[in-house]
Amino acid sequence: MNLIDFSGDAFIVAFTLYCVAFIMYALAVMGRRFRKRDPEAHLAKWGKIAFVTATIGLIGHLLYFFTRWAGSGHVPVSNMYEFMSFLSMAIMIAFLVLYFIYKKSLLGLFALPLAILIMAYAAVFPQQVQPLIPSLQSYWLGIHVTLAALGDAFFAVGFIAGLMHLLQTVNFSGTDKGARREQRWLELVMFAIVVLIGFILSVYSFRAGGYQAEFNQTLVDPKTENSTIVKVEYNMPPLIAPYQSETESMQSFLGMKSPLMEAPSWMHGVNAGRKLNTVVWSLVTGLILYGLLRLILRKPLAKFIQPALHRLDPDDLDEISYRAIAIGFPVFTLGGLIFAMIWAEIAWGRFWGWDPKEVWALITWLFYSVYLHLRLSRGWQGKYSSWLSVIGFIVVMFTLVGVNLIIAGLHSYAGTD
Amino acid sequence: MGKSKKSVQIVILLAIILIGVYAVATVVFGSDEVPKVGQKAADFELQGMDGNVHTMSEYEGKARVINFWGTYCPPCVREMPALQAQWEKWSSQGVEIIGINVGENKMTVENFVAQTGVKFPILMDPKRNAVASFGVGPMPTTFFVTASGKIDHIRIGELDLNTLDKQIEQLVNAK
Amino acid sequence: MSQGSKPLIQNTKCDCGHQNPTGTVLCEACGKPLTEEAEAQPILEMRYDGVARRSQKENPGIIDRVWNFFSSVKVAIYLILLTLVGSSLGTIFPQESTFLNIDPSVYYKEEYGQLGHIYYLLGLSHTYTSWWFVLLLVMIGASLVICSLDRVLPLYKALSRQRIPKHMSFLTRQKVVYQGQVQEDGADWVERIKPIIKKKGYRVRTDGGTLLAEKQRFSRWGPYVLHIGLIIFLLAVLGRNLPGLHMDEHMAFPQDEPVHIKNTSYYLLNDGFKVEFYTEDDMPEEFKGKNKVLPKEFQTQAILYMCEANCDDLDKEPQLVELTRHNIEVNHPLNYKGLKAYQFDYDLTPILRTVSPMLIDSKSGKEYGKITLSINDPQREYQAGEYTLTLTQSFTDFGLGDNGKPVNLSPNPNAPAFLFLIKGPDLPKEGVQYFYFPKQIDKERFNQEAINAQLAGGEALVKLDVLSMDDVDFSESTTYLNIRVDKAMPFIWVGCFIGMIGLIMGFYFTHRRIWLRIDNGTLTLGAHTNKNWFGLRKEISAILKQMNIEVDEKSLENNRGTKHESN
Repeated sequence: MNLIDFSGDAFIVAFTLYCVAFIMYALAVMGRRFRKRDPEAHLAKWGKIAFVTATIGLIGHLLYFFTRWAGSGHVPVSNMYEFMSFLSMAIMIAFLVLYFIYKKSLLGLFALPLAILIMAYAAVFPQQVQPLIPSLQSYWLGIHVTLAALGDAFFAVGFIAGLMHLLQTVNFSGTDKGARREQRWLELVMFAIVVLIGFILSVYSFRAGGYQAEFNQTLVDPKTENSTIVKVEYNMPPLIAPYQSETESMQSFLGMKSPLMEAPSWMHGVNAGRKLNTVVWSLVTGLILYGLLRLILRKPLAKFIQPALHRLDPDDLDEISYRAIAIGFPVFTLGGLIFAMIWAEIAWGRFWGWDPKEVWALITWLFYSVYLHLRLSRGWQGKYSSWLSVIGFIVVMFTLVGVNLIIAGLHSYAGTD
Repeated sequence: MGKSKKSVQIVILLAIILIGVYAVATVVFGSDEVPKVGQKAADFELQGMDGNVHTMSEYEGKARVINFWGTYCPPCVREMPALQAQWEKWSSQGVEIIGINVGENKMTVENFVAQTGVKFPILMDPKRNAVASFGVGPMPTTFFVTASGKIDHIRIGELDLNTLDKQIEQLVNAK
Repeated sequence: MSQGSKPLIQNTKCDCGHQNPTGTVLCEACGKPLTEEAEAQPILEMRYDGVARRSQKENPGIIDRVWNFFSSVKVAIYLILLTLVGSSLGTIFPQESTFLNIDPSVYYKEEYGQLGHIYYLLGLSHTYTSWWFVLLLVMIGASLVICSLDRVLPLYKALSRQRIPKHMSFLTRQKVVYQGQVQEDGADWVERIKPIIKKKGYRVRTDGGTLLAEKQRFSRWGPYVLHIGLIIFLLAVLGRNLPGLHMDEHMAFPQDEPVHIKNTSYYLLNDGFKVEFYTEDDMPEEFKGKNKVLPKEFQTQAILYMCEANCDDLDKEPQLVELTRHNIEVNHPLNYKGLKAYQFDYDLTPILRTVSPMLIDSKSGKEYGKITLSINDPQREYQAGEYTLTLTQSFTDFGLGDNGKPVNLSPNPNAPAFLFLIKGPDLPKEGVQYFYFPKQIDKERFNQEAINAQLAGGEALVKLDVLSMDDVDFSESTTYLNIRVDKAMPFIWVGCFIGMIGLIMGFYFTHRRIWLRIDNGTLTLGAHTNKNWFGLRKEISAILKQMNIEVDEKSLENNRGTKHESN
C-alpha cells in the first residue's frame, strides 16, 4: 500500500474517531438526563474518555498529514482538500492548547463538530494529489499556509468559546426587545450551522447515488463576440441550470426531468450556475433539516443546547475565547500577512498587490485588531466580545472559502478547476 | 514641562500633515506620470523623414497638433487628408501639425507619405518611446498642445472633421 | 471621564505626604485613591496605575483637541473599521490595476452592467489608490503615533516610580484579592514567602511586613513596539513613491534581442527559453483526457547588459557590456543591485526574423541567387545574381480591407508580405512586380500564385522560395518578465520584524504584580496583571499553597465590582 493510500485511510480513521469522541461528549453532558447517580463524576469520566478518543483521532490526523507529505513530495496544503484537512487538524491542535491551559474539556463538545464539519467539507473537493504549478513550488508554501491556517484555527477556537458563552448567557426567558434580538441572532447562527450540515449531507448523498447531469453552455466573449460551447457537469439535481445552456443529459430526480430555471445573466461564468445550484440545495436541505429539528425538539436549537453548558463559568468561556484570539493573532500576523508578503515579493515581485485574498486576509487582521482594542474597554467584555468572535470567524471563513469560490484572482488555488 | 511638550505636539502634528498631504498628492496626481489635460506635454526625441532627430523643443512657441497614427489603423489613414488640409491652412498662423508613426519601419512610412502626399512633419516612433511617455492607448490619439507647451485637449479616436477647424482655432487662441 | 473638578486640582497632596501631579487618580507613593470617583470605585481603575495622562489634563485648545482626537482609542477603532469596510468594497469587482490596458469608463459598464458603472463612477474601481483610502491610512498612522506617545510616557513614569504601596484600600480594591490570618510575625512570614515568589520568576522587594513582587514588565511595552513597527512599515510604503526607489514594468523579451529597460541603462536579453510540461502520465485521473496543459517548470536564460556608448542615439546600435546571467524562474528572479526581473508569462509562438529565399526560374528551376530579407526592417534594394529586386511595399500584417484592397492590419509581424519590383535578364524592361509571403500559411490564404500571375500578366517568370529551414531565422519564444526596483523594501521588512516582536512581547508574556502586607496577623494580598487573570489566580493559589494556605482560585476574584449578569 503506498503512502497516499495510507494517508487517505488515516484521514478516515481520524474522522471516525472524532465522530465517536463527539458522541461521547454528548453522552457525558446528557448524564443529568439519564438520572445518573452522580452527574459530576459521569461528566468527568466520559469527558475524559472523549478527550482521549479525540487525541487519538488527532494522532491519526497527523499521520494523514505526514504520510501524504512524504508520498506527494510537497507539503499537503496546496489545494482546497489538503488545506481544509489541515485547517481541521489545526483546530484540533488549537483546542488541545486551550485545553492544556484551561482544562475545560467541555470545549471539545463544540470543537469536535467544527473540526468534523470542516473535514467533511474538505472531502467534497478532489482528493488526488495534484502536481504543483511552478508558482507554488517553494518552501514558502509550507511556512505561509500552515502558519496562517494555525492562526485561523485559534480564531476558530475563539469562535467556539464565544459561541458557547452566548449559548450559555443568552436569556431565553427574557421578553424585552434586547433579549428577543439576541435570541433571534443566536438562533440564526445555529441555522447557518444547520445549512452547512445540509450542504455536506446533500453533496454526499447525491454523490453516493451517483447523480449526474450534463449541460452545454454557450459562453460569449463580450469583446470579440466569439461564442464557445463548454461542457458543464453537475453532481446534484439541477434546480438551477447554467446561464445560456442546453441540457445534454439529466437523470430525473423526484419527478423533476428538467431544470427549474436558469442562472441569471450576470452569473455567466462557467462554474457560476453549478455553485449557485449547490448553494440553493444547501439552503433547501438546511431548511428541511432545521424544520425537522425544531419539530422534534420543540424549542429553538440554542435553547436546547443551553443546559449542556450550565456547569461552565461564563467568565471562563469569555476568557478562553479572548485567550484563543490573543494567541492566534500574532500567529496569523506572522503566517497570514508577513510570510505571505515575503513569499509574494519573492514569487511575484510585489509584496502586496491588493489581490482579493490578500485584502481579505488584511480585513481579517483589521477585524481582530478591532476586537483586541475593544477588549480594552470594560463594557466590551462578555457578550459583545463573544458576538465579535462569531463575526470574526465568518470573516475568516469568507477569506478562506468565499474568496476562492466567489471572487476569482491570482490567489484562487482551489485546485486546477 | 508644559511648554516643551506643546512644541513637541505641534512639530508632530505638522509632520503628519506634511506627510499626509504628500501621500494623498502622490496618489491623486501620480498615476504613471502620464500627462493629462492642463499639464505640460511630454518631451520626445524621434527621427524624422529627413533622417534628423527632432525634439519637442523645436516647436516651442508654436501651437501643435500631435497625431499618433499607423498604416494599420484605418481611421488614422482616413483622417490624413484632413490633417494635411488643416496644416496648409494654419501653418502661417504658427500652428504645426506633427504626425508620429507608431511601430512601423521607415520604408512603410515613406511609401505611405509618397502615396498620400502628406507634407507636414512626420516622425517615427518604432520603439514606442513616445507612446509610453504620452500614455497613448488606442489609436488614433491626437494631442492639442498650446504654444507654451500645455496640453489643451486630448482626442482619443478618429478626429471629428467638422470641429477640427474650430479646435485648432481654439488652440491658437488658448496660447 | 472628566476630572476637571476644581478642588482636586488645588489639593493633590496625599495624606501620606507625597505631592502628586495634577490629575493623578491614585497616590504614587501609597496608592490611596485621590479622586471622589476613584474613592467610589469598588475595583480600582489601574490604568497607568492612576497617573494622569497628557490628553486629560488641561483645558483643551485647538492643538489639544486635534491631539486628543487622534489619541482616542475610540477614534482609532473607527478608523480601522472604515479601512476594513473600504478594503472590502475594493474586492467586489476586479480593480483597474489588474488589467494591462482597458478604458475603465467603458469596461465596467460592459462587463458588469449598471452596477459596474456606478462602481467605476464612485472611484471604487481604483479603491486602494483613491484619496480617501490613502487619507484613512495616513490618519491611522497619525493615530498610531499620537496614541503611543500619549501613553508611553505616563506608563513609563508609573511603572518606574513604583514604591511598595501601603494603603489598605489599594490592596483590597484590586481585582485579585485575598485576606486571611497568619500565625507568625509579619516580617518573618514575608521573608519565607519571598523565595517562593522569586522561584516563579518575580523580582521581589520587601519592607518589613510589606512586599511588592513584579515580573515581565516588558510585556507592557509590547503594543507600543508593535505601533512603532507599523509606523515604520507605513512610512516605508510611502517612501516607495519617491523617484528612483520604485519601478514596476511588465515587458516582453523576444528571443535573442536585447531590450532596453526604460529609465535605466540596462538591457536584458532573452538567450533562450525552456518549458517542461507535465506528461499525461504525471497527471491525476481527473485531468487526463481533458486536454489540460500544465506547465511543470519554465525558465528564461537571461543576460543583463549595461549600455556603455551610443545609448540614446536613434541611429546607432548601443554598445553593450555583459553584467550578469541568470536563469529566471518563478520564485527565482534575476537580482542585480536592486534591479529584479521576475518570470511572469511566456509565449511560444515563433516570430519570423529573417528569411533568405532563393530567386528561382519558374520553368527551369534554375537558382539565380539568395536574398536575405529582414521582416521588421527590410532594405530597399536586393541583388540576386543578375537580378535586382526593389522593395516597393512591405506589410507586417497583411489583410484585405473592406474594399478588397491590401491593407496593414497591425504593426505586429503576424502575416508579413512584400511587394518587389524585379528587373533583370529576360524580364520586361520596366520590371515585373512580385508579391511574396514568407509564411506558408499566408501563401495559401491569399493565393500567392494567383496574385503573381495577375501581376505578371500571365505566368510569373521568376519566383522567390525558401529552400530549407536553415534559411529561416525566427525567434522561438517571447518571454514576459516583470522588472522591478524597490529600494524601500528593507524598511518594510524592518517594520514587520519590529511589529512581530511587539506582538510577541504583548501577547505571549504578561506583566504581573503582587502586593501584600501583614498587620497583626492579618495578611492582605492584592495582585494585578494586564492580561490573563485566570493564570494570575492560578499562580497565586499555587504560591499560597506552598505557604500552607489552601485557597480556591475562583475565590481570589474580587466580587465587589459589578460582575456580569448571570441567568
